[in-house]
Amino acid sequence: MSDLKEKLKAQIIKQLNLEDMNPEDIKDDAPLFGDGLGLDSIDALEFIVLLEQHYDIKIADPSEGKEVFQSVNSLAAYIEKNS
Amino acid sequence: MKNIFLSYGALITPLGNTVDANFEAMKRGVCGIKNVGDSGFNKEKWPLGKINSIEGENRYTELLNRLCEALLAEHPATLFQAQSTLLIVSSTKADINLLPDDTFASTRSILHEKLKLKNDALIISNACISGVLAINTAADYINSGKYKTAIVIGIDALSDFIVYGFQSLFALSSQVSKPFDKNRQGISIGEAAGAIIVSSEKLNDTSFYVNYLGGSSSNDANHISGPSRTGEGLYRSVTKTLNRSNVSPENIDFISAHGTGTAYNDEMESIAFDRLQLNDTPLNSFKGYFGHTLGAAGIIELIMTMSMMENNLMLKSMGFDTLGLSKELNVLTHNCEKAINIALKTASGFGGGNASVLIKKAT
Amino acid sequence: MRLLGSCKISENGVFVNNNLEEYYSACQTDWKRELYTKLDFEYPKFHKMDPLAKMAFLSFKLLEPKVDLGSLEDDSIGMLFANSSSSHTTDEKFKKSYYEKSPSPSLFVYTLPNILTGELAILNKWYGENIFFIQENFNPEFYLEQINFYFSKGLNICLCGWVESGPKGEECFLFVVENKDGDVTHDELYKCYKQKK
Repeated sequence: MSDLKEKLKAQIIKQLNLEDMNPEDIKDDAPLFGDGLGLDSIDALEFIVLLEQHYDIKIADPSEGKEVFQSVNSLAAYIEKNS
Repeated sequence: MKNIFLSYGALITPLGNTVDANFEAMKRGVCGIKNVGDSGFNKEKWPLGKINSIEGENRYTELLNRLCEALLAEHPATLFQAQSTLLIVSSTKADINLLPDDTFASTRSILHEKLKLKNDALIISNACISGVLAINTAADYINSGKYKTAIVIGIDALSDFIVYGFQSLFALSSQVSKPFDKNRQGISIGEAAGAIIVSSEKLNDTSFYVNYLGGSSSNDANHISGPSRTGEGLYRSVTKTLNRSNVSPENIDFISAHGTGTAYNDEMESIAFDRLQLNDTPLNSFKGYFGHTLGAAGIIELIMTMSMMENNLMLKSMGFDTLGLSKELNVLTHNCEKAINIALKTASGFGGGNASVLIKKAT
Repeated sequence: MRLLGSCKISENGVFVNNNLEEYYSACQTDWKRELYTKLDFEYPKFHKMDPLAKMAFLSFKLLEPKVDLGSLEDDSIGMLFANSSSSHTTDEKFKKSYYEKSPSPSLFVYTLPNILTGELAILNKWYGENIFFIQENFNPEFYLEQINFYFSKGLNICLCGWVESGPKGEECFLFVVENKDGDVTHDELYKCYKQKK
């Protein structure tokens, strides 16, 4: 699970163009949207692309993603569950 | 401000190739948005406002050529060739299929070749508010006296680029777009080309004319693709437009709103119109008839607003059944015979842009 | 009208009010990124921006200390921008995204040249007029015409820019004019635009 989380952090940084960040800057339980990383609605859509391209998981409706994209922890848990 | 007149140039949409044909179709409740097979990134079926008589990949070129032919068929060639005529184009992506080559170059060359223009055409590319901005820019030039006539063209064609793009934003509706409706699911992309003639005097005694009263633009300063939750930019633009026109909100007889059919845009408009106390003003979105035509939208929707004024008939907001907004708006559910003296056209777009223009039946 | 200041940036150098300012190391691979780090102004959104918005942002932050815009009403500043290649660089990237994998939403939102005005508006909380033209070349006469239209409608300040990213290269020329007594000539503007090392 921790390998997945590290991999996820690197993928998030790349997919979302967070050039100034390193994986160690993203805490596992830090909120990704709003406060915390300050990602927005377009970033949420890039998460959907990320899940599909790297993990073959399709999210049909962006509102489904709200719970899933809360933090690296919730994202990793979702991937484990749906792989 | 000088007396500035607007009159019909030409119109080509999924509903027809003349202003009258479009008006008649809309009056009968015809919808130009249909499911198009093999559309979208996964080759699905999306409702799109496609002009069925245009075949093949070079849709933009074909559409622009047809518009030029329509203009030349309906107006004397000298109108376009005059030194005192300026041509302004509004388009968001022009001929995107020309990538990696210049996507806007062919627009200039086709227009110059077909219409024999004396002055360089101006091109405005400012997302979905381009059309309204183009009308306002035309009015500025006529008011300054530098030109006597401006031909304002709005044009955008369907392409994979655009459809895939809106699909990636989850902004496309899987059903025909229902602006302002509580069951709305998003945008139906359309394609169209239209032209409005902006002039310092009436060009003849037979055409229908409206007066340009004023216009403006305002930025939301909020998000590059999502509209302001307080409708700030739209509120400010309409306020400025009303001030510049010396018109009060209660004098507006009709609003042709932007109404794209997305959850956020339509809601934003209801908040802005509520702040402006325009809740009771009859309102529609034309996008339920032929889709969101992007760079063409401001122009073709203004043309149809003029057509309603000419015919003393307000057209219903196609696709709308029940209000799905937090503020009350008078969205028309039926066509309504009524004189429209003053009409407001609004537009909002990516980049936080909002624009508006006020027109009045000319005497 | 009065010219309050101008800034020209490209990989060829940074000129603020016609003075060359050194910002780049000898072998910079990404001159915009390097300029951002030297600016010492944290704005994480910068990295998500397309080249046009990045250049407009950078030029503005370089020019801002030399021009006093702070005391103005938030919608008395108009923005007037143009280029010849629209959003060419990002158009290509977006097209590549769906040719190779799937359409990227964060690229698509930047496939419109006017997004940079949105970014500047968000940065500064400006609610004023804005417009983006596609022109074949930087034409000072055209800008002065449009600025006069803005001023005649009651605006006090215009932030104008020519921002290009495409086959012809990348450059950004920003200038600010004020509706006060003074003379701004085509030649003067063109000279500022043409600054090169």
